[in-house]
Amino acid sequence: MEQLYSQLADCIEFGKINQAAPYPPQFKGMPGADELTQQLLAEGASAGDILSKALIIGMEKIGVKFRENKVFVPQVLMSAKAMSTALVYLKPLFAQNGSDRKGTFIIGTVEGDLHDIGKNLVAMMVEGNGYEVIDLGTDVTAEKFMAAGKEHPDAVIGMSALLTTTMGNMEKIVREIKAAEPNRKVCIGGAPVNDAFAKKIGADSYNPDPQGVVEFLNAMAS
Amino acid sequence: MTKRQVIYEVLKGNKPPYVPWSFKFTVEPKEWLQKFYNEEDLDIALGNHILNLGSDIGFFEEIEPNMFQDVFKVVWDRSIDKDIGNPREPLIKEPTMEGVYFPNPHDPRFFANIESEIEKKPDLFRVFQIGFSLYERAWSMRGMENLLMDFMMNPEFVKELLRKIADYNIAQIEKAMEYDIDAVYFGDDWGQQHGLIFGIEFWEEFMYPEIKRMYKAVRDKGKYVMIHSCGDVDELFPLLVDAGLNSFNPFQPEVMDLFEILPQYRGRLAFHGGLSMQKTLPFGTPDDVRNDSEKLLELGKDGGYIFSPSHSVESDTSMENILTFIEVAQNQPAYLAHTGSEPVKLLEKYKAINAGK
Repeated sequence: MEQLYSQLADCIEFGKINQAAPYPPQFKGMPGADELTQQLLAEGASAGDILSKALIIGMEKIGVKFRENKVFVPQVLMSAKAMSTALVYLKPLFAQNGSDRKGTFIIGTVEGDLHDIGKNLVAMMVEGNGYEVIDLGTDVTAEKFMAAGKEHPDAVIGMSALLTTTMGNMEKIVREIKAAEPNRKVCIGGAPVNDAFAKKIGADSYNPDPQGVVEFLNAMAS
Repeated sequence: MTKRQVIYEVLKGNKPPYVPWSFKFTVEPKEWLQKFYNEEDLDIALGNHILNLGSDIGFFEEIEPNMFQDVFKVVWDRSIDKDIGNPREPLIKEPTMEGVYFPNPHDPRFFANIESEIEKKPDLFRVFQIGFSLYERAWSMRGMENLLMDFMMNPEFVKELLRKIADYNIAQIEKAMEYDIDAVYFGDDWGQQHGLIFGIEFWEEFMYPEIKRMYKAVRDKGKYVMIHSCGDVDELFPLLVDAGLNSFNPFQPEVMDLFEILPQYRGRLAFHGGLSMQKTLPFGTPDDVRNDSEKLLELGKDGGYIFSPSHSVESDTSMENILTFIEVAQNQPAYLAHTGSEPVKLLEKYKAINAGK
């Protein structure tokens, strides 16, 4: 079974969705994330083990390569696609046993901002690293973040802004969340923001790439 | 020397008499300036050196409230982002070109303003704009995530789509060449804050063949090629120069070292932009804007540079900051000497208007 976990981790890392998928060429004709996940479950593997021994391993590898500019958005999207193919089989099992997940992450692009490619990459990467992700989409107000926070009291909130014109909204949202719930952890990201801005507005963490968010969440969860 | 000739000198890599400039603004700051100058057309008041012709993002028809359809029939939702918006849904739902609509590249609206604008401002450098020039047109039709995965799953479809987009642009360029223009300006964002969105290998495989064809269509007619591409894209400069590129915008200081790159490329590639839109303009003081602007003018005094903010200025920049960079450009000693003009006192005027309120 260890061999299957390792094969599935490779499928996630290299974005092999299923046997029929032409990408990546070096995996041509081989089973993909779809077939291997089904096979693992049929052989008695638990959803938690598939997540920790294959999905998280593969997503972490692609996350590090993305941070190091060894791969780019297309390859990460393919890995995420392979991962979500595997998760189709695992999610119903997680619902039966919530402890398989490491925690919950609420994410959204701030009010007034519609840019979501970066936000989506973070959501995919965090989900593939073993967290439940509540994606509130784009143009998300403080009220929406806080309503989701009420439903998930232990969740970390992450938000993104691409525009300098929406950084002010980010500040307003973070301050409102922190005023209502001082202990709620909030992390921020997006092209124009940085560590100094995170400190200024009272956010707990700024990360320039998705893997940084995963590492922040892992540190919070441990 | 006319403004047009000054830009020619910059693009040829010669030392211009002063550093030319050309500024663009989004809707709100444009309205502030129109009010300030009491002028509808800002090119003359600002002293812009570049005359933008054609239409950078094309023409839109409001088909229902907040929903605007472009000439390719992509519907853009402008309920939040009023400038351009977001495509409501992918137009090309499956990776095939079957049934994909392409508009008439010779649509007269793209050429309607050329003669009248040139007649109004004959001494400016004339640039025909083609926005959404390749990757952006493709993702607006197919959806960005779909297109990026198509690079790997359906590469032949991507190549066909890009080829047709380039064919459309080339047909439009050929028509634009019938007018007395100087350059074609392509707009296509390939960069992120760090690195390219899809990496240089995919860029070379998919974008570069079409870029070479489009630039050649311009250069073969003796015209200049200018582009805009946001983000950290400087690793592409050698390939772009080989393809015939003459001028690069926006030259963002947050993602590339302007003071290293400009001298390195002087004579081969000119730069347009440079004034920080992510930091100095929205968050700095007028003194910060003045300092940055003066450093850029110093950097560009030997040529290869057209001064400007690194993008159309947005509403998060104060009027004081806007007037500061305009004033610095217009009060360059070399410009005043060359034109015999008097220094402008825009900030003083602005303060007087506010004091009188």
